[in-house]
Amino acid sequence: MKLATLLSLPAALAALVIASTTPSGDYNEHLHLKPLPGGHLYAGFNFTATTSLHDYDSQHFRYFPRSLAQILQHSHTRELHLRFALGRWDEESWGSRPRDGRREGGTGVELWAWVEGDGDAGVVDERWSSLVNSLSGLFCASLNFIDGTKTTRPVLSFEPEGVHRESDGRLELLHGTLPHEVVCTENLTPFLKLLPCKGKAGISSLLDGHKVFDATWQTMSIDVRPVCHRTAPREHDIDLVDTVVSSNVTTAPFQGGSNITHVQNILRYAADLTLQSNHSITQHYTLADDGSYLGPFEDEDCHLEIQQTVDMVLDIERSMRPRDDPIPRPPPIEQLECDAGKSYNSHDTCYPKPREGHRGWSLSRVFGQSVKGNCHLDGDKDQAQKYDVSLEVPLGRRTVDIPPATSITQSDFDDLEDVRQYRLPSDSQDFDLTLPHQPVPQPPPARQEQLPPLYASRQITGYGQERGSMHTTLRNPHSYAQRVVYLESLPWFLRPYMHTLKVEGHGSDSLPRLEKMYYTPSIDRQRGTQLELLLEIPAQSTVEMTYDFEKAVLRYTEYPPDANRGFDVAPAVIRVLPLHHNTTTKTNSSESRLLASGQGQYLRTTSLLLPLPTPDFSMPYNVIILTSTVIALGFGSIFNLLVRQFVLVEEVPTSPLAEKVRAVVARVREAVSELRPVVLARLKSVREGVGSAKGGGGGGDVQEPMSDGVGANGGLKPDGKGR
Amino acid sequence: MPLRTSSKGSSRVNIETVARLLTIRNSPILLRLPPFVSALCLVVGIAWLFILPLNEYSRQTYVSENAILPGQVHTYFGGSEHNVFRAYRHEVYQMAQWSQADRLAAIEGIMRDIGLKSARQPYRYTVAGEDIQGTNVYALLQGPRADATEAMVLMAAWRNFDGEINHSGVALALTMARYFKRWSIWSKDIIILIPADSTYGSEAWVSAYHSTATEVTAWRNVSELSIKAGALQAAVAIDYPVGPWGHRFDKLDILYDGINGALPNLDLLNTAVSIASGQMGIGCSIHGVAAHSDSYQDRLKTLARGVMTQSAGHATGPHSAFMPYHVDAITLKTVGDGWHDEMSLGRTTESIFRSINNLLEHLHQSFFFYILLNANRFVSIGNYLPAAMLMAGNFTIAALALWLQSGRAPMTPTTKPADTASKLDGLQLEKVKLGDAVVLVPIQATKPMIRHLFLPVLAALAVHLFGVLPLKALVSLHRDYLTLSLQAIALASYLLPSLLSILLVRTLSASTQQIQILQSLSLLLLSAVLATLATLNFSLAFVVGVLAWPLAFVRPLFNPFAASMTLTSTNLHRSLLLAGQLLVTALYLALSPATVLYILTRYFDTSVQWTLLEMAKAWQIQGVYTALVVWAIWWPAWIVGGVVLTSSAWKPRS
Repeated sequence: MKLATLLSLPAALAALVIASTTPSGDYNEHLHLKPLPGGHLYAGFNFTATTSLHDYDSQHFRYFPRSLAQILQHSHTRELHLRFALGRWDEESWGSRPRDGRREGGTGVELWAWVEGDGDAGVVDERWSSLVNSLSGLFCASLNFIDGTKTTRPVLSFEPEGVHRESDGRLELLHGTLPHEVVCTENLTPFLKLLPCKGKAGISSLLDGHKVFDATWQTMSIDVRPVCHRTAPREHDIDLVDTVVSSNVTTAPFQGGSNITHVQNILRYAADLTLQSNHSITQHYTLADDGSYLGPFEDEDCHLEIQQTVDMVLDIERSMRPRDDPIPRPPPIEQLECDAGKSYNSHDTCYPKPREGHRGWSLSRVFGQSVKGNCHLDGDKDQAQKYDVSLEVPLGRRTVDIPPATSITQSDFDDLEDVRQYRLPSDSQDFDLTLPHQPVPQPPPARQEQLPPLYASRQITGYGQERGSMHTTLRNPHSYAQRVVYLESLPWFLRPYMHTLKVEGHGSDSLPRLEKMYYTPSIDRQRGTQLELLLEIPAQSTVEMTYDFEKAVLRYTEYPPDANRGFDVAPAVIRVLPLHHNTTTKTNSSESRLLASGQGQYLRTTSLLLPLPTPDFSMPYNVIILTSTVIALGFGSIFNLLVRQFVLVEEVPTSPLAEKVRAVVARVREAVSELRPVVLARLKSVREGVGSAKGGGGGGDVQEPMSDGVGANGGLKPDGKGR
Repeated sequence: MPLRTSSKGSSRVNIETVARLLTIRNSPILLRLPPFVSALCLVVGIAWLFILPLNEYSRQTYVSENAILPGQVHTYFGGSEHNVFRAYRHEVYQMAQWSQADRLAAIEGIMRDIGLKSARQPYRYTVAGEDIQGTNVYALLQGPRADATEAMVLMAAWRNFDGEINHSGVALALTMARYFKRWSIWSKDIIILIPADSTYGSEAWVSAYHSTATEVTAWRNVSELSIKAGALQAAVAIDYPVGPWGHRFDKLDILYDGINGALPNLDLLNTAVSIASGQMGIGCSIHGVAAHSDSYQDRLKTLARGVMTQSAGHATGPHSAFMPYHVDAITLKTVGDGWHDEMSLGRTTESIFRSINNLLEHLHQSFFFYILLNANRFVSIGNYLPAAMLMAGNFTIAALALWLQSGRAPMTPTTKPADTASKLDGLQLEKVKLGDAVVLVPIQATKPMIRHLFLPVLAALAVHLFGVLPLKALVSLHRDYLTLSLQAIALASYLLPSLLSILLVRTLSASTQQIQILQSLSLLLLSAVLATLATLNFSLAFVVGVLAWPLAFVRPLFNPFAASMTLTSTNLHRSLLLAGQLLVTALYLALSPATVLYILTRYFDTSVQWTLLEMAKAWQIQGVYTALVVWAIWWPAWIVGGVVLTSSAWKPRS
């Protein structure tokens, strides 16, 4: 009895403490599903947790991961963006990127952060180094290889997403990439560990390494930023709105009449967002021109938000293969759909019919498991309007089967036409979505896939070990000009020749305009090249950018073990700036206002492989070196013998030049010896004259005749001068 | 140097040194040996090639790169894929009857149905009045595990190297693409390329792949590629020109020679051979030697064919164009009647691609320089290079000997001395005083000759620059004039040596010494170029070395009717000499580049015009430098040899 009370005491105390200072915070998660053309499925996971800055400063954490927060505090990082990415987004068939490309990174690992500095030059570097080293440990990635040579400080490409207090001191942006880093399950596990439900419940239970890394395109992101709200928590979670706004605004959808309500609805959300982001920009970054300044935020208005996303595109057919038999064997002949219209069609000849209609799929088959339970941490209160899963398929044309569980609510998708939203059951039931196979050929979609802001590709051209050239193509498919920030960070062993930089436009009358250029040349083994261009790309035109570069020869020990693979060059980051009010293309004012709100859209090119001159680190290399040395020795002595003329010393002919010099010397000497008596006589007479006038003495050495000491060589000149 | 020791030093040492030096100067070894050493180099060099097929000088091939793991995977290409393949083959057969535009659209249609991105590339070359044009179609399979940095190429040219339509090859490439699309293991992108033509189509494609923008010139118009992947790691071409009803083959002939004799990494070849023969049980042959009994004769035959192909330097298949860009490539060509069907070829290709997919680094581990004796036996560069180096050394030795000779005063005893005493009398002696010692030496032995270099250097330079003329004529004239211009060149090269030697000897009064220096310089250049070339294209260097062998031994003909001869010899003696010299001249003319070209076309039973046209196209489009070596290296050296040969005939009678 006594023991029990004793034991219960700390628990009671702890409960008291927790009850009195419950850290305020919020957590929600969301999964967006959208089938893409070509039998692909886009799945976007979003996990957002917040904590108030007060709790953060006093180290009270509830949903915000403590491990990460302590790293951020130690390294004085105010805003962090970390990306792990694999594969390629196929813009031509899939359209624009999810979340405007703002939650994705280049192949490998990408990290940028705003780090607080205290005026000292070295402090920020130290903090950055401590940040990357700690994150390296936390995420089992080689982030610690982001050293000075891989760190850049972009000027135009990134802007803080959060609201930063004046008291934060001077913030510096640092950016680093690791294009060679292969993202794999060891990075996913720590990522899931940061979540409150640890991947055990809720939508995160779908994230299984086998499926995530079998995706055609996959990116994981972690974004930590301070956000401030003036009012009570909004009814909708920001990022849902964010996604909705961006995905609907970037098209040019405002043409039909049927979309009016839809547009208004979006405008309502967007105005909310605009106010907020405009504010943040106005306060610290003088880009906004709206003037909707609301005054500084109080500390308690502000939260620290961590947003973790996993975006991926799965090949439905490949993902639905059973795990125990993943080999894509040729299907049995009976299962092959043949085009019977072909003249040669027979029992052994089969022209495969292109697949028609919609492929059937379900969450449990695509992800290998269904959603286990939910992760509604605050209970069901106040969350009635929150949906965990949304599915974007043509409404009415696509049947969706959901398990007949009572706790699932299907939203009244009033304003968002093609999106169905679901809430996970509140008891710990499994949740699954099934879209059956629909063999009926679909009419081609009326709405074109949303055009991406820009098509970009970057290639290394040329061949050989010495030079190469970089070729970037940017294509603007829109009917208005776009301003673009193009950021390249090159490793030091790729030395660009900036005088060869050419920006050429095709397909339009107006030329691309290079407005600004920031260029930091590289220093061998210390710093890479950073190139940032602000470009205007005319409407419906292509801009080609080329420059030549030289490949450096590395030191023997600087080659990695797989030297012959080549060296990875980080992808270029392209930021498409939002349109401004005062752009020449005057559009609907509400639309331009909307577009001006965000940070613009981001896209990244693929990473590149740069083959460098590599020594042959093998036995033949040693043999060649040895042989060459022997040959050089042999050649040297034989050559020496051949070009040398062997004569006796007496035989050595005197050089004609020496003869001439000697002749000149002789003549001069002759002239001198002829002159000498005359001069002596003159001197004598003069001295006698002087001596008779002044009396002798004193100058005895003056008239001392020079001993005929014209030296063997150099004596002549001073001698001649002396006279 | 010991000779530079002060004369006040030990005079005994000096005398000994001087004596030794004089001995060396007069040593018969230095004077008479070089031609023999030269000949020895030549003979040993040629004989060297004949011992290479022996077991002691060649090695069994082995896969050097551990990552390749050839034949370690199970191949699944088969079953219903066979039905699809047959259908595609029918499609390709139908396309062959259609116009080019329809055909391209149909191929692209199939590629799109498979789910790949496809693109076209039109190209056009105009060489020697001949228009070569076509359109390549290709598609990109984005590897699910790839990050767009590396790619491999599966090729099936629409027309194979012999000009036949590659029905089954194209169909197989398309079927493989469809099959590959389902796999999730690809860590490199796969490019399915259907060039319009085996030589120029792939050349246009690979050159556009590696360039930023292609300039349109009068003779070259190659479009850019709209789709690109990363760095190409390897390319495999399929050559299987069998119509819609199929044909079973016996063996795979693996073609591997690239432009200018560049070879793919031996690992790629070994992978193909070990997969085909080890995993699939398909025999492999090299250079079309199908019935290879692994005997000495067969090995030698394979080696000879390899050397001939490599020395010609031309393309041997669609893979050849990839080699200059450091992309390893091979062609799998089906030969003979047997029991292997298209599925075995497909499984071989699948397994090869799985192996290339395993690569972590660009192929680099194994040999890039080798001579194959059969599909699994090779000679490495360390073993065969000495042959070409000896050929080059032969010219160097001859050149050095000539240089030494040119520095010596001519020993001209007027009469043949009867005995030693009178021999000494005949020579002018000179007193050489060294300190307190005095030696008597013949005056010629100590007198240094001044070499008058200006004229020989100028002449050598001029002749070599002149070599540009036949090269330019043969690569840029219209094809109707090619034969004529070769005839003109042949005729000119028969006359040019005499004319040049008249110019040199009569007009510019070049001395014998200057002619010697001219020959020496020319041979030095030849040997230097051959030695360098041997490290790039062994076969070309060796063949040119063999064909140019007389140049090392050419000495001025002596006029049998010259005054000095008439005194001493009989009529019979003189006519024999004359006959001998005519024979030498005839041999010399027979080994002129133009004549050799005629003989070779006769031997290989091709027309001269065709050969010249192919050489012109190869030079213009693919940058094959064989023509350059022949006309700018060998031909000038041959002309200089001719000048030397005829120089004495035009010597003004004194």
